[in-house]
Parts: sequence; structure tokens; C-alpha cells
Amino acid sequence: LASLITQSPILIIAIPLAAAFLTPFIGMVSQKARNTLVIVSLTFVVFLVFALARDISINGIHVYTLGATAPDLAIPGGFIVPVRIILEVDGMSVFFSIIWSIVSLAAAIYSLSHIASETGQNRFYTLLLLMVTGGFGLMFTGDLFNLFVFLEIASISGAALIAYRTKFADTQEGGFKYLVVSAIASLMVLFAIGLLYAQYNALNIAYLAQVIQYTTLDKIALALFLIAFTMKTGMVPLHLWFPDSYSVAPASITGMLVITSHACMYAAFRICFTLYGGVIDAPVVGWIIIVFGLLTMFVGVTMAVYQKDVMRFMSYHAVSQLGYMWIGVGVGLAVLGNADLIATYGREAMSGGIFHILNHAMYKPLLFFTGGALFHYTGTRDLTKMGGLAHKMKWTTILYMIGTLSISGIPPLNGFSSKILIYESVYQFHPILTITGIIVSILTLASFTKAFHSAFMGAELPEYKGGREVPRSMIIGMVILAAGIVFITLFPSLVLDRAIHPAADALLNQGAYINAVMGAIP
Amino acid sequence: MTFILDSGYAFWNPLIWIIVFIVVMLIVYFFRRRGQKGYKKDTEQAQIFLCGEEVPEAEERHIRVGNIYWGFFETLKEYYNVILKPHTGIINDYILWFVVATAISAITLLIAGLVK
Repeated sequence: LASLITQSPILIIAIPLAAAFLTPFIGMVSQKARNTLVIVSLTFVVFLVFALARDISINGIHVYTLGATAPDLAIPGGFIVPVRIILEVDGMSVFFSIIWSIVSLAAAIYSLSHIASETGQNRFYTLLLLMVTGGFGLMFTGDLFNLFVFLEIASISGAALIAYRTKFADTQEGGFKYLVVSAIASLMVLFAIGLLYAQYNALNIAYLAQVIQYTTLDKIALALFLIAFTMKTGMVPLHLWFPDSYSVAPASITGMLVITSHACMYAAFRICFTLYGGVIDAPVVGWIIIVFGLLTMFVGVTMAVYQKDVMRFMSYHAVSQLGYMWIGVGVGLAVLGNADLIATYGREAMSGGIFHILNHAMYKPLLFFTGGALFHYTGTRDLTKMGGLAHKMKWTTILYMIGTLSISGIPPLNGFSSKILIYESVYQFHPILTITGIIVSILTLASFTKAFHSAFMGAELPEYKGGREVPRSMIIGMVILAAGIVFITLFPSLVLDRAIHPAADALLNQGAYINAVMGAIP
Repeated sequence: MTFILDSGYAFWNPLIWIIVFIVVMLIVYFFRRRGQKGYKKDTEQAQIFLCGEEVPEAEERHIRVGNIYWGFFETLKEYYNVILKPHTGIINDYILWFVVATAISAITLLIAGLVK
């Protein structure tokens, strides 16, 4: 087991990658065997991620150097800089990878029935596994160029998956938009990496963090990184493509796209706190993030209330919720240079924001999955055509209610735990942040109540009589996420102590990340 | 393992809420049990009574999504006129926003550096 844990960073990336290439071949022989391969490989990856998380909580940051005689030999003999491909996994990376692994597994199980009537399933699962590979790589990589490569893998497979159902015209448009936005964001990231490489002749994040000077070119690179990653997460005013793409993908993929947004958020945090952490103009960048975060919360929710398409409605809510996370972490960044303020409320604000990422990763894919279940049953995304579905879709109704109560921050659901942490801590930074957050929460509940009434309540409509609840695998996919919500609801302090605080501390402790690769700072 | 979340300013115990919720549900169930014993499901008793008027069909009775919160949207009409404008659905416009946001962020960081 010790050897397995040592090799786990590369295995977590390699297993879904190998499974992705095996899937089409096995699929040609047996669909059942292909589905088994997908589920078993993702289940094993979940196990490895949890084993790695446990190891990191005991032994600290895990460094894995590809091609070295020993995995932790980051700098080869005779060199003063790390030149090999390095995976560096700390509390923050492993926190995001836990989310990524659980939602990937739930999405794969949900897909078994959700796309059962579609053609090209071999390609679907290959792309899904490639997307999973890209996400893990993005979170584990210790160098900037591989960050770009894994971002590309996740983006291209994501675009293809959005456009998977070729019989619908809007899926092609949504896939195209995602591809264009991702390509431009990736190019900006590559350009920013080029600016840093031209000055420092290195790509390793830990090394760059040690030597970065915050020159004019570094500032331009920071702006490019920030805007590229925030665009990928759907921050207002760069969110315009978000509902166009997210609403047309198969629901399981929309769930995955939500956590792809989280992965890009991780990349933005890594750039701000780790790469630029020692030199960044923290109050300015923090305030930029906070202002855009406020806009994201408010515009997202007001646009959501307005929607009549169930998946667009949920997409705008995804945008709105991302605002909470940006505000929480933005406040932490704004006070980064002040140890007193970090101790007073900065760390708790960051913890609240990061906690909200975890909660969002549970309830938002769950809500998208219920949206997919509504589409599966009615054949439409139009809420004006729905009604009385609770009579036949009892499981979906209950799971939708769990998701709704959670996203609206209603006690005792998990959404409340993270929101209360954010409200209490950011209030000390500026009360307007808390006030806006509470208003947005009220509007969230109001809009979900509207959608609930439209779709589920009322007398059974004649066109939907005689239908049946969605297949079992779709229910299981949703139940996995609902179980996550219930667990976090019951044990918020356990999650906070074991996962959230270590993740926030990993961001704040830039020195530990650098030391893990470079040794002691000279 | 504890159920209590200490936020640093206050504490929060989801278990108390769940216990309260269960107690309330039990009280509701108790009153429901003491309700009208003569009620029979799927008989005339279950029919909708609308002051003697003819009851519309199910699809006509259902309040659709477009009719909910009408007053809210009417009040915020001007806000929605402004906020809907950038949502053109055209990718060229989206990229323009991206360029503008990048330029503003870069200029802000550079000016902040000069001021320092």
C-alpha cells in the first residue's frame, strides 16, 4: 500500500487516461464490459485520491518527479533548477481532486442510463475519461506548461462532450462557443507562461515563485492568467457563454463542467497565492476579485430568476454561486500581507469560500442531474411546458428539494454552513459583501421555488400521464451527490478540520510549496 | 467526531435543527391522524369545489413559470432591459468583453504598481 500511495499522483492521472484509450476497443466487444471498465477505473481512482489525501494529512506535501530514480528527487544532480515534469500535491490540490473524483464517478454512473439511447457511446466515455484525466492533471501538476496541456485536454474533451448529441442544433452551437472561449483562454495562459519563461527561463511553479520579481511583464502575465481562468469559471461579465454551453450538454456532462469551473478556480488560486504569493499587490488583486465576485453573485441570480429553460436557469445559478467563492477567497487575498487580519477573519473567509466550493460541487451537479431527469421524462427543457411531475417523479422531486434547500443556504443543509462562514468573516472586511450575499440567497430560494412549482407542483398534466420515474442508474448518480450533501450537513466541523482548513492553509503557506521542491529557501 | 461547527464567532449544530424538524413532523402527523375519519380517497369528496363554478382542466389550472413573479419583473423592467442587452448569444461579443476585461485588469495592475 505504501508503494501504491507513493505512485498515486501519477496513477490517478494515468488510470483514467489508460481507461480512455481502452474504452473504444472494449466497447466494440461488449457495452457492459466497457461500462464496467469506466465505473471500476473511476471507483479505484476515488480510493487512490482518498488514500493520497490521508497520506498528505499525515506526511505533508507529496512530490512526484517523472523519470527520476526516486519520485521525490525533484532536482537532478548537477542542476539548480527542477527540469523534469513534477507533480506536486498539497492540501489544496488534493481537496479539489476529492471533489473531482466523486463527481466524475457520479456523472459516469448517471450517464449509463442518461445516454443509453444515444449513438457513439464509446466516444462519449473516452471523452469523459479524458476530461477526468485533464482535471486531475491540472490539479496535480507542478509546472506551468503542463498546467496548460491539462487545461487543453479538459477543455477540448469538454467541448466535444457538449456537442455530443448531434441531433440537436443548439448542442453544436454550445460546443462551438465553449471551444472558442476555451481556445482563447488557453492561448492567453500560454502567452502568460511565455512571458514568465522569457524572463526566468523556467516553468516550475515552485522555482518561479522563489525568483519572481513582479516586473511589468509579470503583471501583464498575472492579468492574462486571472482573466483567462475567471472567464473559464464564468465570472461576470465574462459569463455570457456559460449558459449557452452548459444548458445544452448532457446533464452528466454539465455536472462535470461545473467542477471544471472549480478546477479553473483552483488554477487561479494557485497562480495568485503560490506563484505570485510573495510579490503580489494583494489588496488591488483582492479588490478586483471581490468587485467581480459581487457582480457575479447578483447578475447571476437575477438572470436565473428570469429564465424559463430549466438548464439555463440552473446555469445562471451556477454563475451566481461562484461569486460566493470568489468573495470568500478574494477577501483572504486582499488581506494576504497582513498577518493580523488573516488571523482575525482572512483565513475564515478563505475557508468559507473553499467550503462553498465543496458544497457547490455536491448540490449543483445534483440539480443539473435533476434537470436532466426532467428532460429525460418530458423531452423538453422548457419550464412553461412542465407541471405536476412530482406525481410520477418522486425520487427526482425529493432530490431536487435537497439540492434546492442546500443551494439556498437553508439550515440545516450544508450550503448554510459555508454561507455562514462567509457572511460572518467578510462582514468584518466590508458589510456590503454580507448584505449582498444574503439578498442573493433570498433570490436563489425564490427562483428555485418558482421552478419547483412550475415543474413539480399542481395537478398531473395529461401529456405526462403514464410516464415512469427515470432509470435506476440516474437515481444512483443523484443519490451519491445527495449522500455527500447529507454527510457534510451532519459533520461540518469534521469536513472543515480535515479538508477545508488544510486547503486554505496550503494556499497561505507559500513557503511550504516552494520548499517541497526547492529545499530550504536560501 | 462532533456535529458542532465553530465559526469563530458563533457555533452551529445541524443536529439540533434535525431533531426540531423531526419533532415538528411528529406533531403534524399527530394532528393529521386526528383529522376527518370519514374522508375517502378517489370519491366525490376529493373533487375540487370552486364556489359551484365549473373547475377548469388540469393544464388550465396550473400556474406556469411565465406567470410567477410578474410584479417583480415589472418593477425591475429597466434593470432587465440593461442587463439583457449584453446577452446577445454572439460569440464575437463575448470575446470583446474578454479583451476589455483583460485590458482593464492589466492597466489596473500597472497603475497600482506605479502608484506604489
